[in-house]
Amino acid sequence: MSAIECEDLTKSYGKIKAIDHLSFEIAENKITGLIGRNGAGKTTLLKMIAGYLKPTSGKLKVFSEKPFNSLAVSAKTMFVDDTMTFPDSLTLIDILTEVAPFYANWNSNLASGLFDYYSFNPKQPHSNLSKGSKSTFNSILGIVSRCPLTIFDEPTTGMDSAVRKDFYKALLKDYLEYPRTIILSSHLLSELEELLEEILLIDHGTKRLHLSAMELKELAVGMRGNAQAVLSFVDGKEIIYQEAFAKGSIYIVIRKDFVQQQFEEIRLCGIEVLPVSTDDLCVYLTAKTKGGIEDVFKRG
Amino acid sequence: MILNTDSLKPIYIQIAEWLEGEILSENIKEDERIYSQYQLSEMFTINPATAAKGLNILADEKIVYKKRGLGMYVSSNAKQFILTKRRSQILGRMIKELVIEANRLAVSESELIRMIQQARKEKGEEQI
Repeated sequence: MSAIECEDLTKSYGKIKAIDHLSFEIAENKITGLIGRNGAGKTTLLKMIAGYLKPTSGKLKVFSEKPFNSLAVSAKTMFVDDTMTFPDSLTLIDILTEVAPFYANWNSNLASGLFDYYSFNPKQPHSNLSKGSKSTFNSILGIVSRCPLTIFDEPTTGMDSAVRKDFYKALLKDYLEYPRTIILSSHLLSELEELLEEILLIDHGTKRLHLSAMELKELAVGMRGNAQAVLSFVDGKEIIYQEAFAKGSIYIVIRKDFVQQQFEEIRLCGIEVLPVSTDDLCVYLTAKTKGGIEDVFKRG
Repeated sequence: MILNTDSLKPIYIQIAEWLEGEILSENIKEDERIYSQYQLSEMFTINPATAAKGLNILADEKIVYKKRGLGMYVSSNAKQFILTKRRSQILGRMIKELVIEANRLAVSESELIRMIQQARKEKGEEQI
C-alpha cells in the first residue's frame, strides 16, 4: 500500500511554481531520501505532505486522505525541522512529557535514554539551545514519536559529525524495531544514502529521478583518459557530465549500460573507469548548465 | 569490516563477500544460522533492503539455504564452493591481467613463469 500518493501536484507562490506537476508514490514502511538543490522545492513538498500547506492544484493523498486540515493525517504524521518552536515557559523535560500524549506510539523509554545520552539539561528552555543541540533535540522527538509517517527536513543541520552518525544509527535501530514510513531530506546524500531504500530527486519542483538507492548507485560511471579514446567509446550514448581535464584528456560521466567485459576492454585502452558518487551524480543531473563553476572563471 | 561506499563495487556485493569471508574463516560454520537482514542492517548501518539483497546473492548461489520461519543457514558444502568460485573467478582474472601487463612490458612466457616460481619460493620461505 502507498503511504503517499501524489499526482500532478502543483504549488504556486504568485507566478512562481515551487512544485510543478509532480507525480510520485511512496510505499509504506520504506525510508526515502528527498534530494534536491537549494530552492528545488523540498521543504514546500514536505510541508504539503505534512498538511501545513495547501496544494494549489493536483492530487495529494497521505494514508488515502487529503493531508491539509486533516486531524487523522496530523495524528499519524511527525514533521521535524530546525524551525520547530515550543513555548518558552516549558523546559526541555516539560516538552518531552507534554508532547507524549499526542502520539499513540510514543516511546518514553527511548526518549529518556536519548535525552540522557546527549546530556541535555532538563531545566533548559528550548530557545536557549545552540543550532546543533536544537536539531539534536528535535530529532529525538522525531524518532521516539514513532509516527506512521515521519518526516525529517534537513535534520542534521548544525549537528557535528559524531551526533550525525549517532542520529542515523538511532533512527535505523528504531526503524528496524518499529518499521514506518520515513522521509529524510538532506543536502548530504553521501552520509545517509546507505540508510535509504529509495531516492526521490527533484529539481525546480519537478521529478528528476525516483528509484531505489541501489539502482542510483549503479546508474552512472565515470571515465577519464585521452579525449579521443574516451569519446569514441561513449559515441551515441547519453553524456551526463563532461569536463576537460588535463591537456588532451577528458572526464565523462555516462549511464552504466556496459557489461563487465567491456569495462575491461576500456581499461586496457588506458582509460580509467571511476565510480561516481551519488552526491556528484545528483549535482550533475540537476545542473543548470553543462560544465561547472570552472566555466565561470574562464570567461573574459 | 568497514564498507567502502566510494567503490565501484555495490554495498550488497560487499556484504555478500564479507559473509563469504566469514564462512571461509569458519566464523560461521556449515549448517549454522547466518546473520539475518536485520542484524546485518544494524551491524553495518545500512537499509535492510540492501542487506537482504546481499543475502539473496548467497541464496541464489546456494551458499545459504532458507529454513522456513527460522532464517538462512549455511549450506553443507558452502566453504568448498566459495573456494572453487574464488579460484576460478578472482585468480583467473588476476592471471589474465598479469599476462596482459607482461606482454605490454615484453616479458616472455618463460621469464614470467620463472618470476612466478621465484615469488612462490620467497613466499614459501617467509612462512617457514
